[in-house]
Amino acid sequence: MSGRRPIPSAVLISLLALTVAWPASAREARESAMPDMLVAQAQTPGTPSALAAQTVDETALRYFARQGDARRVEAEIARLRTLYPDWEPPENLLGNDYTADPLIERIWELYGAGDFAGARAAIAEKQAAEPNWQPTEDMERSLQLGEAAVRMRNASDSEQYNAVVTVAANMPDLLTCTNVDLLWRLAEAFIETDNLQRGIDAYTYVLNNCDDADDRLATVQQASERLESEELAELLALERMNPDGTGEFQALRLDLARNAILSVLSGQSSRAPAEDVRRLEASARSTRNPDDLRLLGWYALNQHRPSEGLEWFEQAMEEDPSALSVNGLGVALLDLRRPDEAEEVLSRYEGETEELTALYLSAAAATLAQMPRVELEPEVLERIVALAYLNQHVTTAQELGWYALNFNQPQTAIAWFDTALEWDANNEPSAYGIVVASDQLDDQERIAEIKAQWSGRSQRIANFGTSAGQTTPAPAPAATTAQAEPAPAEPQRQTTTPPAARTEPAITMVATTERSSAAIAPASTSITVSYQGCSTYVPPANFSPAQALNRAWCLMDLLRPSEAAEAFARALQSSSTATRSDAAYGQALAYVRMGLAEHAAVAAAAAPQPRDRVVELQTAILTLTATASYNAGDYRRALMALDERSLYAPERNDLLVLRAWCYYHLRRYVEAEQIFSAVAATGYGEAIEGMYAARSALGR
Amino acid sequence: MTARTLLGACAFILITGSVVAEAQDNSMPMNFITENEWQAYADAFIRDDGRVVDTANGDISHSEGQGYGLLLAVLAQDRAAFERIWSFTRTELMIRDDGLAAWRWDPNATPHITDINNATDGDILIAYALALAGSAWGSSENLRDAAQIARTVGNSMLAPAGDLTVILPGSEGFSAAAREDGPVVNPSYWVFEAFPVLADLTPEIDWMEVHDDGLALLEMLTADGEVPADWVALGTTPPAPAPAEGFPPEFGYNNVRLPLYLVRAGLEDTRLLERMGVIFDSDLAPARIDVTTGERLEPMDEAGYRLIGAARACVLEGTPIPPELQQFEVASYYGSTLQLLSLSFLRQRHNRCLTDEGSEVQR
Repeated sequence: MSGRRPIPSAVLISLLALTVAWPASAREARESAMPDMLVAQAQTPGTPSALAAQTVDETALRYFARQGDARRVEAEIARLRTLYPDWEPPENLLGNDYTADPLIERIWELYGAGDFAGARAAIAEKQAAEPNWQPTEDMERSLQLGEAAVRMRNASDSEQYNAVVTVAANMPDLLTCTNVDLLWRLAEAFIETDNLQRGIDAYTYVLNNCDDADDRLATVQQASERLESEELAELLALERMNPDGTGEFQALRLDLARNAILSVLSGQSSRAPAEDVRRLEASARSTRNPDDLRLLGWYALNQHRPSEGLEWFEQAMEEDPSALSVNGLGVALLDLRRPDEAEEVLSRYEGETEELTALYLSAAAATLAQMPRVELEPEVLERIVALAYLNQHVTTAQELGWYALNFNQPQTAIAWFDTALEWDANNEPSAYGIVVASDQLDDQERIAEIKAQWSGRSQRIANFGTSAGQTTPAPAPAATTAQAEPAPAEPQRQTTTPPAARTEPAITMVATTERSSAAIAPASTSITVSYQGCSTYVPPANFSPAQALNRAWCLMDLLRPSEAAEAFARALQSSSTATRSDAAYGQALAYVRMGLAEHAAVAAAAAPQPRDRVVELQTAILTLTATASYNAGDYRRALMALDERSLYAPERNDLLVLRAWCYYHLRRYVEAEQIFSAVAATGYGEAIEGMYAARSALGR
Repeated sequence: MTARTLLGACAFILITGSVVAEAQDNSMPMNFITENEWQAYADAFIRDDGRVVDTANGDISHSEGQGYGLLLAVLAQDRAAFERIWSFTRTELMIRDDGLAAWRWDPNATPHITDINNATDGDILIAYALALAGSAWGSSENLRDAAQIARTVGNSMLAPAGDLTVILPGSEGFSAAAREDGPVVNPSYWVFEAFPVLADLTPEIDWMEVHDDGLALLEMLTADGEVPADWVALGTTPPAPAPAEGFPPEFGYNNVRLPLYLVRAGLEDTRLLERMGVIFDSDLAPARIDVTTGERLEPMDEAGYRLIGAARACVLEGTPIPPELQQFEVASYYGSTLQLLSLSFLRQRHNRCLTDEGSEVQR
């Protein structure tokens, strides 16, 4: 008798009766049309007096029995027992004592197939053939119920919530556990028509009366989309325990925990409930789900617990050594002021995404800028130089200048400062660096030249060498022969670079015995101003939306997307359309960096964007969705994302290979093989493995 | 012939007389639509689920089509088809909060309702057909449902325009509050034959005022030989009807029904029917007409449309109806519907306009 619960509780029905808001014009008609159904049902559920005295119509039961439809037989017995408590089903439903009427059988057949229009037509045909025949009340009632259910679903789909409540009020028999979706729709209709408590009552009814595990979980999921957390808590309290001791709503509770954490990352709240965090942590430790591990990592960073963040990202790396994981790992290490470790780990993934390259360069600059100065291994310096050059990264070039100056290589320093200025003519710290380094070389001509260019723009350059500038320390000489030299491009002022020191594009690094960090410290402070400008956490609410927008971009430059997202959220409160548009764009990019495709999509929709940004965001979001879906084993969704992405941007080789693997996993080997082969033919090596896999599956 | 005329008189009572009294009489005397015609129509346009399909418009369905389907099923005395169409109408279209029918149902959309607005002529046709069915087959439920629709239309879809009471074409977007030039009306939404029936069902609503004001509106719209636009704005005081903003200033597929509705309602001796002559070409075909220039934009040459012109000519002048227009051939949903409505009218009331060699169904 599973599933088919009797008529809902008198309480719910009376609630319905009280809440239906009938239009004045309709009231009279309803009362005459439905004279006592609501009252009768509410008082004695399941035993309408009008039906009790009649002969039980067993035609449907016999029909479904002969069809061998056990489920419907069971449901029909339950239904008849509800209507007629004293009735007992016939012992042999297939017995010879019963002769089937083919027309009646036909009606029940159509009814069973949900073809109520056909059943109505069949009744009319039978009446035409036998003018004295009438459908039984039971048959009529069954059809009314079936049609009312369709009507209720259609009204609900079209958001006609008063109509939903009206249909339910007229047909409370609909509201059973077998039609659990109708109870959900009723709950939604109540909530949408400002009857929140009755909506909660409808969900409560399901949880108190219905046993199907999927329906129960789906009920709280539905409720979670419409109720505040305190209201939802009432429903979650009705949770039943699984045999293994876990709660039946565990999956939802985890989703709620994820959402609570995400709402912190999106700046909607400042902390997630401790219980939610603990719950997700416990789950992530046992499932090792990399998305959850990363989410917890970002949350820890957001909450200024970088050590904890680092641990989560380290675990994420173990499970999923990917760009997304290493991104978080790198940020955590930077937050922990361990830039050399960040530089090292990021160097292995640099170039996989633009974000990772930017993060790498940020780590490289921070590595160079460490105080006290750290002498870097030659191969480290070598790769920093190479990538600074490759990416024309101004801050790293400038830091290389200070680094060289610090190790008493003013010519090399000047070469780097010149390079930085070449990439960004407005880079004041590099101009200042040239002044400091030229002073060490006593190159007054160069100092004068820079002063002439910069005095109007930089007080400290104007003051350099004057009494006002006396606080500016001259870098102390260091006993070092270290050379950091820009390569392979030719520095602008080759004359300042000792030709003898030039070697291969690589860097030669010799011993360092003394450090002179104190001497260079003030300058260093000023040159890392862009880093310091937003690296100290300040709650975004303390900024105006416009300030928050600048800060958010600064945080993006620092590859701190979770904080950036929060700052963008503040900027979204601006009254300026342009600011809101920029903020939405930035927030979407921040979520893309965190690997949160859905959030990115929502953020992108928060304000209208110019076409090129739409293309950029959609491409990024859909790429992420495709990759994440693939990793989660949802190949269809991955394909959908790729299809949609192809509307915005051509499919790169790596995504073509991803597409082909999707086909492969969906056993669409022919399509998989075609793509693998085509991509492999372009010389893209990663397609070759797939090509052989697909051919093998095809038996070729 | 005599029998036909007598039976026609019975039907006239059915339509204009007391429906409640008729409800006691279960027998419907004869088919004004032949079995072959009806079968051809049903095969072409009525799906098993009771959906009446507008084949010329991407197979969508609408409340008007369901209303016509119900009406034709009553006229063809096919209760099974009626039940089928009514089940679909009730479960798929009559899902609005106010109980009226959403006007547009698209098989390729989810949800299928792509515009929740109602179309008041659809609601009127449905209520009218339900009332006829309730009378013909003694169904108090049909009468009750008809009354409920009529009451809602009467209470929410009628609006003043100067001295007139007019029918708003839908609950959203046509009233004086919704449009600068509002209220905007569609003259062909006055289904004149329905109002006496609705008046019996819901005496608290002055349907005959609606009826008379509809005629007054048509008088205004056709004065001085003018062609009435399908969509008319009545926003000025006093009402000076003008083509409504946002609609082509055209007479077209809506108003082509006007002469048919007039004659079906027994309004044969009005000046209006005379004036409607400007709609038709010499070969009886109406046309889409630019009402500002009088230019005939495109003829409507399906038999269903031409039969309206032929019926008008026969009613006014006794001109025999060409045999090819008496033969029902499945064409568009709309043209076929209008042809059957015209044929059933002629068989009831002007059988002499028809010749014996006509009335043979062709598919």
